[in-house]
Amino acid sequence: MTGNDPRLQEALDGERDPATLPEGLREAYARLTAAADLLREPPTVSVADRVMAEVRRTAPVAVVSPAGVARRVARWFTRPRAVTLRLRPAWTLAVAAALAAVVLVPLREGVTPGAEEGVAQFVGHFPGARSVEVVGSFNDWRRGALALRDDDNDGIWHGAVVVPAGQHEYMFVVDGERWVADPLAGRYVDDGFGAGRQNALLVVRP
Amino acid sequence: MKLLLALMFAAAPPSLAAQTPHQRLEGRVPAAALPGIDSLIQQAAAESLPTEPLVQKALEGGAKGIPVERLVNGVRHGLIQLRDARAIVSRATPDRVTLDGDVAAVAAALARGLDPRLVERLLAAAPPPGDPPGPVLHAAADLMTHGFPADSVADLLKTARQEGLRGSRLLDVAVAASHELQREGGRTPAEALARVRAMMPNVPAATAPHPKVVTRRAGSGS
Repeated sequence: MTGNDPRLQEALDGERDPATLPEGLREAYARLTAAADLLREPPTVSVADRVMAEVRRTAPVAVVSPAGVARRVARWFTRPRAVTLRLRPAWTLAVAAALAAVVLVPLREGVTPGAEEGVAQFVGHFPGARSVEVVGSFNDWRRGALALRDDDNDGIWHGAVVVPAGQHEYMFVVDGERWVADPLAGRYVDDGFGAGRQNALLVVRP
Repeated sequence: MKLLLALMFAAAPPSLAAQTPHQRLEGRVPAAALPGIDSLIQQAAAESLPTEPLVQKALEGGAKGIPVERLVNGVRHGLIQLRDARAIVSRATPDRVTLDGDVAAVAAALARGLDPRLVERLLAAAPPPGDPPGPVLHAAADLMTHGFPADSVADLLKTARQEGLRGSRLLDVAVAASHELQREGGRTPAEALARVRAMMPNVPAATAPHPKVVTRRAGSGS
């Protein structure tokens, strides 16, 4: 017997008395009509209701504590995330080039400083020195702002920087620790801290 | 992502121009020196004196690792010089508004050891309006360093101004005088000054430096 038996189909369609069917087909007829009756009745509880009931039963009660919030914030910051940046290449390159010009690329010969600026040139003879830098009022006495160079290792360190016109006090810092007034400055001023030390003085012309 | 960018902008340091002296000094001078320096800078501001020279002096002391007491004393010494400088400017040019730049320039000249009377004399010698006093004071200090007498210095620079020399051209006068003094065969200071006076206003101009590589100034807030 198969589902395709024409006698069974006729009985299901009401064209044949089910009692006339052979025993095997009568059982199949009974199962199929019972299933049809079940489908005809609306379910007492919907699938969605049953799923939601299950979710409510198993979900833990949310307790928000400060430590929990801190953990969530820490997790938010430390979890790796895929970030999508939408950039316009032309603008990005232009901004990068401008930053590089200001911060990294030294000016070449022939570049004119501004109307109220001048070029300060520094030269010092420090044979054997590992590093020489210039620290002064023109760079807020900040270390590491202007390193001199001795490319040919002859002990003569030199460098130049564009600074505002006017007076600037400065010192050389040799090997990161020894403060030396520029022996070639020609102008000096007491540093005012009571130990008799002098700063070199630079007068920059516009 | 937007939150991250907002935090980055909020955490970005303000520009130096927007920073208060206290903010500029924080972390650059010993914490123990900061209250004393703050107080001196506030005094200067209350007296309408320029505060930038004091900030610079404090930054210098911090960079050099000067002990706290000497550092504060150095800044205090700077405040006293600014007061003296303002008094000199006010006496020398009573009918002009006293500018911060003029006071700072005079204080710098005093720090170089220039006699206050010579400073006052140079300022009072009909300074043209808008001509800052820094160059003439540096020219005077340069000449004094080379041993020229104060009166001769004042006269020479007065002549230079009458000849129309201004600004950094006054520095050229001092350079010319020192060159004449060192010329082979030797000259007395009086002879050197006479030579320079004779060549005015056409004293040789200094040549501007033309280094092959020039870096931009970094870290300045002035």
